[in-house]
Amino acid sequence: MSDNLLELRSVSKNYGKTQALEELSLALPKGSLVVLLGPAGAGKTTTLRLVAGLESPTKGSVWLEGQDVTKWQPNQRNIAMVFDNLALYPNRTGYENIAFPMHLARVPKADIERRVSAIADQLRISHILGRVPATFSGGERQRVALGRAMVREPKMFLLDEPLSSLDFMLRIELRTELKRLQKDVGKTFLYATPDYTEALALGDMVCVILKGSVRQLAPAQTLYDRPADRDVARFVGNPPINLVRGELDRVDGRASIRFGNVALPLSPEAERNLPSGVKQVEVGIRPENVVVQRQANAGAALGRISDVEPLGMHTAVEVDFQGAGLTATIAGEREFEENQPVSVNILSETMIFFDLVTGKRIGA
Amino acid sequence: MAIKLELIKLRKEYGSLIAVDDVSLQVEEGETMALLGPSGCGKSTTLNMIVGLELPTSGDILIDGQSVAKTPVGRRNVGLVFQDYAVFTHMTVRQNIEYGLRVRKVARAEMNKQVDKIASFVGLGDKLRRKPAELSASELQRVAIGRTLVTNPQILLLDEPLSNLEAEMRHQMRRELHRIQLETKQTIIYVTHDQIEALSLAHRIAVMNLGVLQQYDTAYNVYHYPRSTFVGSFLGNPPMNFITGVVKSNGGQRYLDQNGAIIPLPPSKPLTAVPDGKSVKVGIRAETVDVVPAGAQGAFSAELLAVEPQGPEAVITAKFGGGTIKFVVPTSAVPKSTGHVSLVPHANLLALFDAESGVRLMNGAGS
Repeated sequence: MSDNLLELRSVSKNYGKTQALEELSLALPKGSLVVLLGPAGAGKTTTLRLVAGLESPTKGSVWLEGQDVTKWQPNQRNIAMVFDNLALYPNRTGYENIAFPMHLARVPKADIERRVSAIADQLRISHILGRVPATFSGGERQRVALGRAMVREPKMFLLDEPLSSLDFMLRIELRTELKRLQKDVGKTFLYATPDYTEALALGDMVCVILKGSVRQLAPAQTLYDRPADRDVARFVGNPPINLVRGELDRVDGRASIRFGNVALPLSPEAERNLPSGVKQVEVGIRPENVVVQRQANAGAALGRISDVEPLGMHTAVEVDFQGAGLTATIAGEREFEENQPVSVNILSETMIFFDLVTGKRIGA
Repeated sequence: MAIKLELIKLRKEYGSLIAVDDVSLQVEEGETMALLGPSGCGKSTTLNMIVGLELPTSGDILIDGQSVAKTPVGRRNVGLVFQDYAVFTHMTVRQNIEYGLRVRKVARAEMNKQVDKIASFVGLGDKLRRKPAELSASELQRVAIGRTLVTNPQILLLDEPLSNLEAEMRHQMRRELHRIQLETKQTIIYVTHDQIEALSLAHRIAVMNLGVLQQYDTAYNVYHYPRSTFVGSFLGNPPMNFITGVVKSNGGQRYLDQNGAIIPLPPSKPLTAVPDGKSVKVGIRAETVDVVPAGAQGAFSAELLAVEPQGPEAVITAKFGGGTIKFVVPTSAVPKSTGHVSLVPHANLLALFDAESGVRLMNGAGS
């Protein structure tokens, strides 16, 4: 038996003529937190519902702990689905909130007490069991909601954008809490979100779903540094990655990339893994790798600032660079203004190359 | 520059609730002013009073120096774009945009000319015959803006204009609004709870909380020199850290003491005026902390709890004293080991706040 708690094997889901999911395969190691990342309509919620058993796949199978559960009813699968905003009963205490599913199932009172107290210990919320949700912090609220889902001892948890309705300060606080909590209880989480910052912060692995297909399954930083294709590169990162059409030149063993009116030399590292036949590519440059400076310095080409957008910690500046329009991020100071001439440096090692036709990343 | 809009001790009470508490501010002609704050802070009520949808309990509203507090809604010549667009679904894009001109009984030929001009300006030149049901959210937004701009209002008011758009579209519309701003030179009042929209579009930001104007300043100063812990915590991603403790000295070196956990305070001028023994909150922006080798000058120690990759940088959560702090470092500078890290805050951006009132103690550039 594998160590995977959950496996989706080539799962497709059609609604009439619409294909919501296409040949989706995904494995969740036991105790891991995997994030499904994608825009609205990508198929995240459909995937969660297929795992929960609320939908059946048109093709493919769902495996839990090594068993094919494709035909199992939701209640046979023993999976907890935690919905949006972690709703609690406001007029019941923490204890009553957690105990509620057991009351419904007519579990004997002594068993309920034992179980709630064990869960509260594990979640470190014993001290708030007697209080009502209005007195809870955001993190406590989250723990109580999870505690309620835990009483049935589910095999895993499905979370569908649980933080999306909260204000951003709380969201940042709670995502850190949620990850710690998941590690504390050691349960397997499948978590869906359209927010790449949340996905990167939370996921042991992040699975990017676009238009019903898995585009990439990778650790957070890999997704950013080595995106599988152009679409993933664009979806992960803000401001979005710069994409320009470029032409590779190799003369006397020296390679350079030409875009707009400029040819930038490629370092051996940048060039090494590019197949020899390739000439036309799409060049991806992350905004933080477009280095813009006021003073012209040796070796840098000239550009002109066309737009300045202050964003607090960073400022995004648009640069007209030798016929290409590039976005650069700079640390949040008031250094630049519109129409200012600047020098632009782009280290070739930071460039990411994509196939012009398929959009797939090429090179290392 | 002429003052376009002035609020003078503007106040709105609903029974015993003070929704807007004596707000005074001035907006210059051609400026964009953002009313920023959490839901229930009074920003929408303020907007509604400027438009005339609500009457102030007391205070005054001047447009071009003239009081409009008693002028009925339709006569103020201000244009409001609603959050949910409120376009007429049974009318085409053209009919929607021309509506305001028809009400004003503008001649057909003149009306067509103006509608064509505005439609192409907001990027709807080829969609004039469409019905709203055929449009995307951002196109509906353009209809709503076009419909308002065509009446040539003295002030354009936008109520959470981007909140119904998806993240990707939001960035594009933000730049679109920026273009509209530059080209029309309209005076714009922009209501939002989104700090990025306020920072990116507004010349000045009015931060509100519980009906009270917390700070009114340039976008730059509101971010870099918050006047209260509320403003510091409402802007920034992650928000500003606040560490409570007592100021003490030891042989000329001043430091913050939180039950034995210590942060050295830089000897720079503003901080020297705080007497020993005073309870303060030290405010540190998440992006103004450097990870340094243990024992470095001016460093304090914290226990690493979590590292969250974000692409170019990572958010680090660390335990200091009885609480946690969050800071942002470039991915290349993420500490490799767990345990304790040594941190040095950027001295010039460190801020001190009164521990009780949350009011900033020292003068920053903004005051």
